[in-house]
Amino acid sequence: MAIPLTVVDDSRISRKMVIRALPPGWDVEITQAENGEEALAAYRAGKADVMFLDLTMPVMDGYEVLEHLQKESLNTFVVVISADIQPEAQERVKKLGAMAFIKKPVKTENIVAVLEEYGLI
Amino acid sequence: MSVQPYNEDQTDALQEVANIAMGQAGDSLARILDNFVTLSVPRIRQIAVHELADTVTTMVGDEEEVSAVRQAFYNSLRGEAIVIFTQSGADELAELLGYDCELDTAIEQELLLEVGNLLVGAILNGISETLGTELGFSAPSLMAERAPLHQVLAPDQLSWEHALLVEVNFSVEKHRFKSHLLMFMTEETIETLRGILDEFMDDF
Repeated sequence: MAIPLTVVDDSRISRKMVIRALPPGWDVEITQAENGEEALAAYRAGKADVMFLDLTMPVMDGYEVLEHLQKESLNTFVVVISADIQPEAQERVKKLGAMAFIKKPVKTENIVAVLEEYGLI
Repeated sequence: MSVQPYNEDQTDALQEVANIAMGQAGDSLARILDNFVTLSVPRIRQIAVHELADTVTTMVGDEEEVSAVRQAFYNSLRGEAIVIFTQSGADELAELLGYDCELDTAIEQELLLEVGNLLVGAILNGISETLGTELGFSAPSLMAERAPLHQVLAPDQLSWEHALLVEVNFSVEKHRFKSHLLMFMTEETIETLRGILDEFMDDF
Protein backbone atom coordinates (compact mmCIF):
# COMPACT_ATOMS: atom_id res chain seq x y z
CA MET A 1 0.00 0.00 0.00
CA ALA A 2 1.25 3.46 -0.84
CA ILE A 3 2.75 5.40 2.07
CA PRO A 4 1.06 8.81 2.63
CA LEU A 5 3.85 11.39 2.22
CA THR A 6 3.44 15.14 2.71
CA VAL A 7 6.05 17.48 1.22
CA VAL A 8 6.05 20.82 3.07
CA ASP A 9 7.73 23.87 1.55
CA ASP A 10 6.57 27.38 0.75
CA SER A 11 8.42 27.25 -2.56
CA ARG A 12 6.73 25.44 -5.43
CA ILE A 13 10.04 24.80 -7.21
CA SER A 14 11.49 23.42 -4.00
CA ARG A 15 8.59 20.97 -3.59
CA LYS A 16 9.12 19.94 -7.21
CA MET A 17 12.84 19.42 -6.58
CA VAL A 18 12.06 17.19 -3.60
CA ILE A 19 9.43 15.19 -5.47
CA ARG A 20 11.77 14.76 -8.44
CA ALA A 21 14.46 13.48 -6.08
CA LEU A 22 12.28 10.75 -4.53
CA PRO A 23 13.73 7.31 -5.19
CA PRO A 24 12.10 5.71 -8.24
CA GLY A 25 9.73 2.95 -7.27
CA TRP A 26 9.12 4.20 -3.71
CA ASP A 27 5.38 3.69 -3.38
CA VAL A 28 4.02 6.94 -1.96
CA GLU A 29 0.88 9.00 -2.19
CA ILE A 30 2.08 12.59 -2.27
CA THR A 31 0.37 15.59 -0.69
CA GLN A 32 1.88 19.07 -0.93
CA ALA A 33 1.68 21.71 1.81
CA GLU A 34 2.82 25.34 1.56
CA ASN A 35 3.32 26.02 5.26
CA GLY A 36 3.19 24.47 8.69
CA GLU A 37 -0.53 24.89 9.15
CA GLU A 38 -1.25 23.05 5.94
CA ALA A 39 1.22 20.36 7.00
CA LEU A 40 -0.59 19.76 10.29
CA ALA A 41 -3.93 19.69 8.46
CA ALA A 42 -2.50 17.08 6.07
CA TYR A 43 -1.27 15.05 9.04
CA ARG A 44 -4.69 15.18 10.69
CA ALA A 45 -6.27 14.04 7.44
CA GLY A 46 -4.05 10.94 7.53
CA LYS A 47 -1.87 12.10 4.65
CA ALA A 48 1.49 12.30 6.40
CA ASP A 49 2.88 9.03 7.72
CA VAL A 50 6.08 10.52 6.36
CA MET A 51 6.67 14.27 6.24
CA PHE A 52 9.44 16.06 4.34
CA LEU A 53 9.60 19.40 6.11
CA ASP A 54 11.23 22.73 5.24
CA LEU A 55 12.19 25.04 8.12
CA THR A 56 11.99 28.64 6.88
CA MET A 57 8.37 29.27 5.91
CA PRO A 58 5.79 31.99 6.41
CA VAL A 59 2.60 31.45 8.49
CA MET A 60 4.03 28.55 10.50
CA ASP A 61 7.64 27.46 10.16
CA GLY A 62 9.13 23.99 10.42
CA TYR A 63 10.27 24.36 14.03
CA GLU A 64 6.70 25.19 15.06
CA VAL A 65 5.40 22.13 13.20
CA LEU A 66 7.85 19.93 15.11
CA GLU A 67 6.82 21.54 18.42
CA HIS A 68 3.16 20.87 17.67
CA LEU A 69 3.84 17.27 16.71
CA GLN A 70 5.87 16.75 19.88
CA LYS A 71 3.41 18.47 22.21
CA GLU A 72 0.47 16.51 20.88
CA SER A 73 2.49 13.26 20.71
CA LEU A 74 1.67 12.92 17.03
CA ASN A 75 3.30 10.08 15.24
CA THR A 76 4.85 10.82 11.87
CA PHE A 77 8.30 10.22 10.44
CA VAL A 78 9.72 13.70 9.84
CA VAL A 79 12.70 14.39 7.60
CA VAL A 80 13.75 18.03 7.64
CA ILE A 81 14.91 19.30 4.25
CA SER A 82 16.43 22.73 4.68
CA ALA A 83 18.92 25.24 3.33
CA ASP A 84 19.79 26.11 6.93
CA ILE A 85 22.86 23.91 7.21
CA GLN A 86 24.10 25.11 10.61
CA PRO A 87 25.03 22.11 12.78
CA GLU A 88 22.91 23.65 15.53
CA ALA A 89 19.84 23.73 13.28
CA GLN A 90 20.29 20.00 12.73
CA GLU A 91 20.65 19.36 16.47
CA ARG A 92 17.59 21.44 17.24
CA VAL A 93 15.29 19.69 14.83
CA LYS A 94 16.46 16.28 16.03
CA LYS A 95 15.75 17.30 19.62
CA LEU A 96 12.29 18.30 18.46
CA GLY A 97 11.73 14.83 17.09
CA ALA A 98 12.86 14.98 13.46
CA MET A 99 14.39 11.65 12.44
CA ALA A 100 16.80 13.04 9.86
CA PHE A 101 18.12 16.17 8.21
CA ILE A 102 18.84 16.58 4.51
CA LYS A 103 20.40 19.75 3.12
CA LYS A 104 19.14 21.62 0.09
CA PRO A 105 19.49 21.27 -2.84
CA VAL A 106 18.24 17.76 -2.13
CA LYS A 107 19.72 14.72 -3.88
CA THR A 108 18.11 11.31 -4.42
CA GLU A 109 21.07 9.54 -2.79
CA ASN A 110 20.55 11.53 0.43
CA ILE A 111 16.88 10.59 0.58
CA VAL A 112 17.70 6.95 -0.17
CA ALA A 113 20.29 6.87 2.63
CA VAL A 114 17.73 8.07 5.20
CA LEU A 115 14.97 5.75 3.99
CA GLU A 116 17.32 2.76 3.98
CA GLU A 117 18.64 3.57 7.44
CA TYR A 118 15.12 3.40 8.85
CA GLY A 119 13.96 0.49 6.72
CA LEU A 120 11.40 2.51 4.80
CA ILE A 121 12.55 1.14 1.47
CA MET B 1 13.75 51.00 -20.39
CA SER B 2 10.86 49.19 -18.84
CA VAL B 3 11.27 45.69 -17.55
CA GLN B 4 8.65 42.98 -17.57
CA PRO B 5 8.17 41.77 -13.98
CA TYR B 6 9.08 38.17 -13.23
CA ASN B 7 6.16 35.77 -13.27
CA GLU B 8 5.19 33.82 -10.17
CA ASP B 9 7.32 30.79 -11.08
CA GLN B 10 10.41 32.89 -11.83
CA THR B 11 10.01 34.75 -8.54
CA ASP B 12 9.50 31.49 -6.68
CA ALA B 13 12.62 29.97 -8.25
CA LEU B 14 14.72 33.05 -7.45
CA GLN B 15 13.44 33.01 -3.88
CA GLU B 16 14.45 29.37 -3.49
CA VAL B 17 17.90 29.98 -5.00
CA ALA B 18 18.32 32.91 -2.58
CA ASN B 19 17.16 30.65 0.25
CA ILE B 20 19.79 28.00 -0.53
CA ALA B 21 22.52 30.64 -0.83
CA MET B 22 21.38 32.35 2.38
CA GLY B 23 21.64 29.03 4.22
CA GLN B 24 25.31 28.78 3.25
CA ALA B 25 25.98 32.40 4.20
CA GLY B 26 24.19 31.90 7.53
CA ASP B 27 26.32 28.86 8.26
CA SER B 28 29.53 30.82 7.58
CA LEU B 29 28.32 33.64 9.84
CA ALA B 30 27.35 31.20 12.60
CA ARG B 31 30.85 29.72 12.50
CA ILE B 32 32.72 33.01 12.91
CA LEU B 33 30.29 34.41 15.50
CA ASP B 34 30.06 31.06 17.29
CA ASN B 35 26.32 31.57 17.68
CA PHE B 36 23.14 30.27 16.11
CA VAL B 37 21.98 32.51 13.28
CA THR B 38 18.29 32.93 12.55
CA LEU B 39 17.46 33.17 8.85
CA SER B 40 14.59 34.96 7.12
CA VAL B 41 12.39 34.15 4.17
CA PRO B 42 14.05 35.93 1.21
CA ARG B 43 12.13 38.88 -0.22
CA ILE B 44 12.14 39.78 -3.92
CA ARG B 45 11.01 43.12 -5.38
CA GLN B 46 11.40 44.94 -8.67
CA ILE B 47 11.76 48.62 -7.92
CA ALA B 48 12.73 52.01 -9.28
CA VAL B 49 15.62 53.74 -7.56
CA HIS B 50 13.37 56.44 -6.06
CA GLU B 51 11.26 53.78 -4.30
CA LEU B 52 14.26 52.02 -2.85
CA ALA B 53 14.72 53.86 0.43
CA ASP B 54 11.07 53.46 1.39
CA THR B 55 10.97 49.79 0.36
CA VAL B 56 14.09 48.93 2.33
CA THR B 57 13.00 51.01 5.33
CA THR B 58 9.85 48.91 5.50
CA MET B 59 12.04 45.79 5.54
CA VAL B 60 14.75 46.99 7.91
CA GLY B 61 12.94 49.52 10.10
CA ASP B 62 14.26 53.02 10.69
CA GLU B 63 14.47 53.21 14.49
CA GLU B 64 18.22 53.43 14.43
CA GLU B 65 21.23 54.38 12.37
CA VAL B 66 23.01 51.84 10.22
CA SER B 67 26.42 51.08 8.81
CA ALA B 68 26.71 49.61 5.33
CA VAL B 69 29.24 47.81 3.17
CA ARG B 70 28.94 47.50 -0.61
CA GLN B 71 30.45 45.14 -3.17
CA ALA B 72 29.95 44.87 -6.91
CA PHE B 73 29.51 41.52 -8.60
CA TYR B 74 30.00 40.70 -12.27
CA ASN B 75 30.32 38.06 -15.03
CA SER B 76 27.02 36.37 -15.96
CA LEU B 77 25.07 38.55 -13.54
CA ARG B 78 25.96 42.15 -12.77
CA GLY B 79 24.93 44.20 -9.85
CA GLU B 80 25.74 45.27 -6.38
CA ALA B 81 25.40 43.71 -2.95
CA ILE B 82 24.94 45.92 0.10
CA VAL B 83 25.12 44.61 3.64
CA ILE B 84 23.34 46.81 6.15
CA PHE B 85 24.17 46.47 9.84
CA THR B 86 21.85 48.06 12.36
CA GLN B 87 24.06 50.16 14.59
CA SER B 88 23.40 48.27 17.81
CA GLY B 89 24.27 45.10 15.94
CA ALA B 90 27.43 46.59 14.47
CA ASP B 91 28.47 47.74 17.94
CA GLU B 92 28.08 44.20 19.21
CA LEU B 93 30.12 42.64 16.43
CA ALA B 94 33.47 42.97 18.16
CA GLU B 95 32.15 41.29 21.28
CA LEU B 96 30.65 38.44 19.25
CA LEU B 97 33.94 38.00 17.43
CA GLY B 98 35.74 37.72 20.75
CA TYR B 99 37.55 41.07 20.87
CA ASP B 100 37.86 42.32 24.43
CA CYS B 101 40.19 45.25 23.91
CA GLU B 102 39.35 48.92 23.35
CA LEU B 103 38.31 49.35 19.72
CA ASP B 104 39.25 52.18 17.47
CA THR B 105 37.34 53.21 14.37
CA ALA B 106 39.77 51.46 12.05
CA ILE B 107 39.19 48.09 13.72
CA GLU B 108 35.42 48.59 13.75
CA GLN B 109 35.48 49.33 10.04
CA GLU B 110 37.64 46.33 9.36
CA LEU B 111 35.17 44.05 11.16
CA LEU B 112 32.25 45.39 9.14
CA LEU B 113 34.17 44.86 5.91
CA GLU B 114 35.20 41.38 6.94
CA VAL B 115 31.70 40.23 7.90
CA GLY B 116 30.14 41.95 4.87
CA ASN B 117 32.61 40.23 2.59
CA LEU B 118 31.95 36.85 4.22
CA LEU B 119 28.18 37.16 3.72
CA VAL B 120 28.38 38.47 0.17
CA GLY B 121 30.99 35.90 -0.86
CA ALA B 122 28.96 33.03 0.57
CA ILE B 123 25.70 34.16 -0.98
CA LEU B 124 27.21 34.77 -4.42
CA ASN B 125 28.94 31.38 -4.33
CA GLY B 126 25.66 29.77 -3.30
CA ILE B 127 23.80 31.43 -6.18
CA SER B 128 26.44 30.60 -8.78
CA GLU B 129 26.68 26.95 -7.62
CA THR B 130 22.91 26.49 -7.62
CA LEU B 131 22.36 28.13 -11.00
CA GLY B 132 25.61 26.94 -12.57
CA THR B 133 26.76 30.46 -13.45
CA GLU B 134 30.07 32.24 -12.98
CA LEU B 135 30.18 35.20 -10.61
CA GLY B 136 33.08 37.35 -9.57
CA PHE B 137 33.01 40.10 -7.01
CA SER B 138 35.01 43.14 -6.04
CA ALA B 139 36.59 43.95 -2.69
CA PRO B 140 34.15 45.42 -0.15
CA SER B 141 34.08 49.11 0.60
CA LEU B 142 32.46 51.00 3.42
CA MET B 143 29.38 52.81 2.17
CA ALA B 144 28.13 54.46 5.34
CA GLU B 145 28.81 54.57 9.03
CA ARG B 146 26.26 55.53 11.67
CA ALA B 147 23.96 57.10 9.12
CA PRO B 148 20.17 57.14 8.71
CA LEU B 149 19.01 54.45 6.28
CA HIS B 150 17.34 56.98 3.98
CA GLN B 151 20.64 58.74 3.49
CA VAL B 152 22.50 55.51 2.75
CA LEU B 153 20.03 54.54 0.04
CA ALA B 154 19.52 57.98 -1.47
CA PRO B 155 19.19 57.78 -5.29
CA ASP B 156 22.42 59.73 -5.81
CA GLN B 157 24.33 56.93 -4.01
CA LEU B 158 23.27 54.40 -6.61
CA SER B 159 24.08 54.03 -10.25
CA TRP B 160 20.88 52.44 -11.59
CA GLU B 161 17.31 53.50 -12.32
CA HIS B 162 15.41 50.26 -12.03
CA ALA B 163 16.55 47.10 -10.32
CA LEU B 164 15.66 43.72 -8.96
CA LEU B 165 16.08 43.65 -5.19
CA VAL B 166 16.70 40.46 -3.22
CA GLU B 167 16.70 40.84 0.57
CA VAL B 168 17.72 38.29 3.17
CA ASN B 169 18.52 38.89 6.81
CA PHE B 170 20.52 37.29 9.55
CA SER B 171 20.05 37.79 13.26
CA VAL B 172 21.75 36.25 16.27
CA GLU B 173 19.56 34.84 18.99
CA LYS B 174 19.66 36.57 22.38
CA HIS B 175 21.83 39.31 20.84
CA ARG B 176 21.08 42.53 19.07
CA PHE B 177 23.16 41.68 16.03
CA LYS B 178 21.14 41.94 12.85
CA SER B 179 22.22 42.43 9.26
CA HIS B 180 20.35 42.67 5.99
CA LEU B 181 21.90 41.65 2.72
CA LEU B 182 20.47 43.43 -0.32
CA MET B 183 21.34 42.43 -3.86
CA PHE B 184 20.55 44.76 -6.70
CA MET B 185 20.57 43.58 -10.27
CA THR B 186 20.17 46.03 -13.09
CA GLU B 187 17.89 45.88 -16.11
CA GLU B 188 20.11 43.87 -18.43
CA THR B 189 20.80 41.35 -15.68
CA ILE B 190 17.10 41.04 -14.87
CA GLU B 191 16.62 39.68 -18.40
CA THR B 192 19.70 37.43 -18.27
CA LEU B 193 18.59 36.04 -14.94
CA ARG B 194 15.06 35.47 -16.26
CA GLY B 195 16.54 33.11 -18.88
CA ILE B 196 18.75 31.37 -16.33
CA LEU B 197 15.79 30.85 -13.96
CA ASP B 198 13.63 29.44 -16.78
CA GLU B 199 16.38 26.95 -17.63
CA PHE B 200 16.81 26.09 -13.96
CA MET B 201 13.08 25.32 -13.70
CA ASP B 202 13.16 23.20 -16.85
CA ASP B 203 15.42 20.80 -14.98
CA PHE B 204 12.57 19.87 -12.62
